[in-house]
Amino acid sequence: MVARVGQKAPDFAAPAYYRGGFTNVKLSDYAGKWVMLCFYPGDFTFV
Amino acid sequence: MSAVAAQYDALQALGVEVFSVSVDSHFVHKIWNDEELSKMVDGGVRFHMLSDQAGNIGRAYGVYDDQQGIEMRGRFIIDPDGVVQAMEVMTPPVGRKLAETVRQVQAFQHVRATGGKEATPAGWEPGKPTLKPGPDLVGKVWKVWNPSME
Repeated sequence: MVARVGQKAPDFAAPAYYRGGFTNVKLSDYAGKWVMLCFYPGDFTFV
Repeated sequence: MSAVAAQYDALQALGVEVFSVSVDSHFVHKIWNDEELSKMVDGGVRFHMLSDQAGNIGRAYGVYDDQQGIEMRGRFIIDPDGVVQAMEVMTPPVGRKLAETVRQVQAFQHVRATGGKEATPAGWEPGKPTLKPGPDLVGKVWKVWNPSME
């Protein structure tokens, strides 16, 4: 199921860099909060 | 991504948790932050930078391009119930305008706070009039709102 407005956001877990350390993020751990998810083409690209 | 980092305080003030996602490893995220982004924004990136090397998250959100092995510029606003309220997907060469994301979050938060009793017209910002959908408003929006109020 691909994400659609008005539908439940697909859950995921991923390794992350966060304030000098490494951690894991699971979207469903943030239930009850507003979340902004921002995809981008890649690190060290120009825009 | 430095533009998102620059708006981080505004998003935090609205209680928004920010996650960036690309196919780079979290190790590369660290170097990008240390070597470049921290020189563009005071304090560098303070939100989680997620690694999606297999493209699985990007596929689930419809932004993964398997020809190039990269992710498009996709921005999703997810509410406290875990429901996607807004999305914007762009090809790589054009950057986002984060102020519009902040405005949309404010509008969705307002609608949610009213239990869906109010809707926000085009260009709405906090303090501007909202619409209260109901039988009385049918065909009468012109009495309370027009595009010059945007």
